[in-house]
Amino acid sequence: MIVVRAVKTEDLDALVSLAQETGPGLTTFKPDRDALAARIERASKTMEGRAAPYEAGYFFVMEDTATHDVAGVCGIEAQVGLEQPFYNYRVSTVVHASQELGVWTKMSLLNISHDLTGYAEVCSLFLSPRYRAHGVGGLLSRSRFMFMAQFRHCFPERLCAELRGHFDLDGTSPFWRAVGSHFYQIDFNAADYLSAHGRKSFLAELMPRYPVYADLLPQEAQDVIGRTHRDTAPARKMLEAEGLRYQGHVDIFDAGPVLECYVSDLRTVRESVVVPVAIGAPADADGVRSLVSNTSMLGFRVGMAPGGVEAGAMRLSADDAAALEVREGDLVRVLMSSNKPKKD
Amino acid sequence: MLFVRPGRLSDLDALAQMARAAQPVLHSLPHDRRELEARVALSEDSFRAQVDFPGEEVYLFVLEDSETGKLLGTASIVAAAGYAEPFYVFRNDALIHASRELHVNRKIHALTMSHELTGMSRLAGFYIDPSLRGDAAAHLLSRARMMYIAANRRRFTPEVFSLLLGVTDEAGTSPFWEAVGRKFFGRDFAQIEIASGGRSRTFIAEVMPSYPLYVPLLPDEAQRVIGEPNEKALLSYDIHLEEGFEPDRFVDIFDAGPVLTAQVDRSACVRFNETKTVRETNDSALRDGRDSRESCAYLVASNREGDFRCVLAELPSGRGQDAPLAGHARAALDVMHGDAVRCVLLHRGAREEEGQDPNDIGSESFSAPRNHHSGDRR
Repeated sequence: MIVVRAVKTEDLDALVSLAQETGPGLTTFKPDRDALAARIERASKTMEGRAAPYEAGYFFVMEDTATHDVAGVCGIEAQVGLEQPFYNYRVSTVVHASQELGVWTKMSLLNISHDLTGYAEVCSLFLSPRYRAHGVGGLLSRSRFMFMAQFRHCFPERLCAELRGHFDLDGTSPFWRAVGSHFYQIDFNAADYLSAHGRKSFLAELMPRYPVYADLLPQEAQDVIGRTHRDTAPARKMLEAEGLRYQGHVDIFDAGPVLECYVSDLRTVRESVVVPVAIGAPADADGVRSLVSNTSMLGFRVGMAPGGVEAGAMRLSADDAAALEVREGDLVRVLMSSNKPKKD
Repeated sequence: MLFVRPGRLSDLDALAQMARAAQPVLHSLPHDRRELEARVALSEDSFRAQVDFPGEEVYLFVLEDSETGKLLGTASIVAAAGYAEPFYVFRNDALIHASRELHVNRKIHALTMSHELTGMSRLAGFYIDPSLRGDAAAHLLSRARMMYIAANRRRFTPEVFSLLLGVTDEAGTSPFWEAVGRKFFGRDFAQIEIASGGRSRTFIAEVMPSYPLYVPLLPDEAQRVIGEPNEKALLSYDIHLEEGFEPDRFVDIFDAGPVLTAQVDRSACVRFNETKTVRETNDSALRDGRDSRESCAYLVASNREGDFRCVLAELPSGRGQDAPLAGHARAALDVMHGDAVRCVLLHRGAREEEGQDPNDIGSESFSAPRNHHSGDRR
């Protein structure tokens, strides 16, 4: 079974080698041993309740229990912006009108904002290209919502997800060219790297402090405000299916959208149920599959199992139950898939 | 001989003709005859009035040829720009974006709507007959205003400004307007220019940007023309610089044309003013004098019983107390032997003399380098 579970200290080697698969471009997950070790340590502290609010962050790995191959990672920051400010542009509307002249114009204004301060953030998702099939991407992404559903008290009212913005085929960002590049003497990748390594607020200090009239920017830059990178489109779809929405916040560098939602409105939170486990061969599932997680924090595990809740219980095969580290009668959280199953 | 004097109601026909000929429209020279008449009447009152501090006054001057009696130009001073209403310009601010951690230190220019010039005296309404040859008449008409200000300090603010036409392309389109104003107004520049009737209408506040505009974020075409004078205004621009005006602190909100400012104390007409005594001479004597001694062109102004006059005359250079003036010059100035006149060297070619002006502030330009600053266009 492929499970997503809380990260452990012993995962360090596997994470370093997994990070080597990222290649250039993705800057949030680099094969930097010290940084990864620190990330694991921070996640452990958080789950053990030893982390201060500003540093609390969860980190999960995807593992094939048959091979112990670590194939993906994802994370949740409990509350962003409590240490270094969390910067975004808020796209707001201004109307300039004069009755005297019969003029009425509506414009977009980009305001530097810290609106999302204190939000939880789902982040750092990476799945090895070797596993990009069979719906495990959905499992990896949703595992975080299963975790949040189970441990609501550890999270604030709302959450967000930053998505990578649109880039031209030559790998440059039209928004960066039109805005950020004028305020720095470094290129986007350098800025992005610093940003991913906790230096974003240094960078943000250099950005325009006054609102920027989006309508005065070159058309190509206006067009990409809130637009997602083509590689990120599937991730956006998945998050939107979960209930997250673009509400007018974008990244200050590439204008990629920030999706937002109340935790209580997440589909997983609304629709998942907690039921006891019944061990045994699942009945004919008729293609129905469910996300199933245990209810332990330190030993958190979530996987995809055939069937759904029936007669107030979730029937799991002995192997799946072992993979999720649950026994007969233990409580599990279940989210039944509403999608039509794919034909293999 | 050309001379500058206050406009009179009897000049109305000629002024109306100039108003129609002026391109683009001069707000201080209304097309409507009634408005124009009111304007000239206000000017007559203003010249006559006892003024202790600047208010609603408007001073309208005309350029007359004493031989033909023909009027060949006009120029005005508005005592307090935007009197009773704010006068809008963009202030050119330099913002420093610096980060020690990132070894970055950048100066970013931003244009901010400003009312700073409200209430300040403004040179305006300049029109000169295109048939006049050479630059001398333009110098005389434009700078006569500063001669008047220098002699009547209480009527004006200690700092004065002047707004010049910005750059437009062959089709008459302003690249700055296209990049900025159009986005807010959704109209052609000319339409708004006419509707606005000046830079002090309140609708500007309703429609124009209330936040600063970062210059580097504007299209290149728009950036290039910020603070640049229109070709038609180049001579005016140079005349202002020669008088001691400084560019670059402000630009126009519509076409980003230069807004030049001057501390009257530091202007040429005040700093280099020499009061001289008129001495009668005749034309041939002057001509002889020119041959034997060095002579230079001077702005010469009289203010006999409040009737201001200004001419250009050749006077012996040097610090002599005498102003030998020929008959036609004395007539134009309405002065006699022994009267005092204000004299200012027209071209202080000697920029090297006495501790250079701190005009260097002018080097703080917006974007593209400007060539015509240094170029002597004479």
